[in-house]
Amino acid sequence: MDERELIARVRAGDGAAERALYDAHVDRVYRLAYRLAGDDELARELTQDTFVRAFERLGSFRGESKLSTWLHAVATSVVLNGLRKAKRFRQRETDLDEATGISGGPPPAEPDLKRRLAQAIDRLPKGYRIVFVMHDVEGYTHEEIGAALGIETGTSKAQLSRARGKLREALADFAGEWVS
Amino acid sequence: MTGDRFERLLRDAAQDYHRPPETPREEMWRRIVAARARRQQHVLVQHRWLHWGLGIAAVLVLGIGIGRWTARGPQGTETTVGRVPNEPGTLAYRVAAAQYLSRTEALLTGFRTEARPSTPDAQFAAQARDLLTTTRLMLDSPAARDGRLKALLEDLELVLAQIAQLPAGGDKEDVQLITQGLDERSVLLRLRTAIPAGPGPVRMQGAL
Repeated sequence: MDERELIARVRAGDGAAERALYDAHVDRVYRLAYRLAGDDELARELTQDTFVRAFERLGSFRGESKLSTWLHAVATSVVLNGLRKAKRFRQRETDLDEATGISGGPPPAEPDLKRRLAQAIDRLPKGYRIVFVMHDVEGYTHEEIGAALGIETGTSKAQLSRARGKLREALADFAGEWVS
Repeated sequence: MTGDRFERLLRDAAQDYHRPPETPREEMWRRIVAARARRQQHVLVQHRWLHWGLGIAAVLVLGIGIGRWTARGPQGTETTVGRVPNEPGTLAYRVAAAQYLSRTEALLTGFRTEARPSTPDAQFAAQARDLLTTTRLMLDSPAARDGRLKALLEDLELVLAQIAQLPAGGDKEDVQLITQGLDERSVLLRLRTAIPAGPGPVRMQGAL
């Protein structure tokens, strides 16, 4: 079944087509929600809300972009609004100052790098974090990110570059150890 | 390790950032289906109320119109509604008016009951706005020629306007003033007396 036919059938209330649409996209939506929320229950809620809203609004989808692009725009809007409301991710305790105090000794073990990287990602400005997670972690293209967030492709690239710069800065001592 | 290698290391390490578990497809699908069913039901209930409200409004407008026409009589002689119970136009008018009075009574009874322990729900304001329009139609109809009914309709207009203007969440003092007014002017008692008695929509007693 091609995309146009799938959309037509969903609009006509075909339950099997709805399920097919869900199956085709749910993994990517849930993964993004989980990566950004860091909380399983919240990620489930956001994924559900995304699909409930998408099924409700599919009638307004004019086919000017791919369905996946439109659906991910719905998903990012739901996820970002949900995160704003929940504020759970903001309450995450991170302490970069403590992390940057590590120096000397043998090169740190990889698990420590991962822990500190996670803390550093959490501390990124929201826009940088979202673009970094979407591009470097979940593999979205800059075009997809631009369409989903409603920003220019160039803005997405610039934010990614700044995000990486901030992470390098936050993990400078690691870089020193590993680069040398 | 070069800068590029460090970049690669970062990217690899980032894969563990909030690493998602396996997608709980079935559970989420069940919840999506349930959420959509709940929304659908909510919409249906709203539609049903809307249709019902529109139906009542249509019957009222039609009934009041016919009532006004028939009240003048064939030679332009005016009669009161109660004196021509067997004319079909009057019958339609009385059915519509009885429905209006019953709805108003239900609203005011509910409002008064809820006003005692807490501030009443915002839905009362919405219903009051709806009934207020009908009250003004009634005041402009043959019913207003009956002094007793006219006085009741004027009191209802005031009370409904007060309820309609209650702010969301309600103001306890305003609510008290409204219930005081209801009690002092025995609005509910007069309203119940005005509603025709009997089981069917076409009743032969009461003020109508």
